[in-house]
Amino acid sequence: MSTAAPPPTEPAAAARKTGGFLPGVLGLPKTIWDSVFRHSLPDSDLGAAQTSFSNFFLHIHPVKVHKNTLRPMYTLGLGVMSFVTFVVLTVTGILLMFYYVPSTTQAYDRMLDLRGSVAFGTVLRNLHRWSAHAMVAIVALHMARVFLTGSYKRPREFNWIVGCVLFLLTLFASFTGYLLPWDQLAFWAITVGTAIAGYAPLIGAKIQFLLLGDQAVGQEALLRFYVLHVVVLPAIITLMVAIHFWRIRKDGGLSRSPEADAVSPAGNLKVQLVNEAGAGKPTFGLMGFVRGPFTKVGNVPDNAVYSWPNLLVAELFVFVITIAALLVVSLLFNAPLEEPVNALHPPNPAKAPWYFLGLQELVSYSAFWGGVGVPGIEVLLLMLVPYIDRKVSGVGKWFARERFLANTLFLTFAFLNVVFIIIGTFFRGPNWALVSPF
Amino acid sequence: MSTSPEKPSSRRSLLTWFSGAALAGSAAISAIANFVFMKPRATYGQPSRYLIGRPDDYPTGTRISVDARRICVVREGQKLAVISTICTHLGCTVGISDTGFACPCHGSRYDQDGNVTGGPAPKSLAWYRVQLAPNGELEVDTNAQVNQGTYYNL
Repeated sequence: MSTAAPPPTEPAAAARKTGGFLPGVLGLPKTIWDSVFRHSLPDSDLGAAQTSFSNFFLHIHPVKVHKNTLRPMYTLGLGVMSFVTFVVLTVTGILLMFYYVPSTTQAYDRMLDLRGSVAFGTVLRNLHRWSAHAMVAIVALHMARVFLTGSYKRPREFNWIVGCVLFLLTLFASFTGYLLPWDQLAFWAITVGTAIAGYAPLIGAKIQFLLLGDQAVGQEALLRFYVLHVVVLPAIITLMVAIHFWRIRKDGGLSRSPEADAVSPAGNLKVQLVNEAGAGKPTFGLMGFVRGPFTKVGNVPDNAVYSWPNLLVAELFVFVITIAALLVVSLLFNAPLEEPVNALHPPNPAKAPWYFLGLQELVSYSAFWGGVGVPGIEVLLLMLVPYIDRKVSGVGKWFARERFLANTLFLTFAFLNVVFIIIGTFFRGPNWALVSPF
Repeated sequence: MSTSPEKPSSRRSLLTWFSGAALAGSAAISAIANFVFMKPRATYGQPSRYLIGRPDDYPTGTRISVDARRICVVREGQKLAVISTICTHLGCTVGISDTGFACPCHGSRYDQDGNVTGGPAPKSLAWYRVQLAPNGELEVDTNAQVNQGTYYNL
């Protein structure tokens, strides 16, 4: 805190003191403005701190963040990117709801209406579809980043689990949305997908029946998937995202290597207390208290910078880039819409969405192992990894040498999944026979 | 003998325990009630028993796929059987092929009687009970499976 804040000016209070009616009325817009935005754009460190502190939307950020958090090559911005896709999906999804009817007789026509007669209908649907695909991919990459930098380790084990749950919720939200256009792609992907759920031991058939609300995919399934997709899952995801963000701060910010915290010997930094109240008796407030590695007392120097503007500009950058990319893709490529549902004739081959094609490829060898066994083990291993791999070395570095085994195992799993997805996408033809895409 | 100091606190802990159990029990019952609610008591799908027309509609020696019902009607001489065309793997509709049935989704193959001859299908196609209804039409009951090779004698 090098510079002292200028004494706060309060025109409303000044007007009250002068007692004039007219100045009070004239000052009303400014009074209202000041009651909403408590601080003008900051020009000092104190102002930067107070801005983050007193604004609801900025308050989710700490006043200061570690410099390591801002390194683009460390985080690749993937967490913020995931969140941006979720926001885009929420906004476009709510808009699409105004024109959509979850009925087997109307849903497909509404898809055509979006194309034909709704203003911006095509681009909204494109945005929603491509953002959904992007979110699945980006959340998976975010997970890979967190794993490969060892960021799931103490004290971030629980946040890793929250992240795993968010990944599953993302897949489920995408899966439920897949049925809504009520075209051939939708119908058969969900027929296959829910049949996979039916292979779960003991409760599989019951889960399948609960999901579909009937013996086969039909009106009940469409309605159920709709409610799950537009209310239940977004609500749960929002709650989990809030927990995910809150946990980041409680765990001392993003992970970083111990070297990133290394600083010059303490002692030569003077802390100057700033009298905030302006005049009279000096009063000081305890602004916040965070346990763990971020607690700083008095003269401990740090490698932190103010969130305003450093972190906010970084986030804004990721936000703009992500939205720009989604918009470009949505303007160039139309979301697919196949023939309306024909429950009698599955397309040949009937393929699930790309992120499930790896599973479908496995399922073509064995329904139980491909649909339940292997994914179940993978999810369980992912969730338990912070409790299995408990060495604290190698945190905060990409591909740390100390983490060679863990990273290799993870990359092997990821690589196999990608290989199966590629086989399922490009090398499978009618009757799921091997074909050459070339 | 004076009252032991532990007495009141143990009574309190017992009450606490009961309250906690009551709350947890209520939560559990609410959760179960939600599942009961979500499970439909009546479904709106197809009935399990339906008529598929007269035996004359299925000439002898034919294998006719009734797509709307997802069944295949097989007639050999005066014998008739109904085989499900719902793939036992993941529920796609199998098509009639030269050697029997073939699934377009994951490549399961079945022979003429619905036995698995290849692909990921875990079991053979179901055979449904079929009989003549009083009005002279054939009635299929998809809730009643019969053993493979069980024909109805017209």
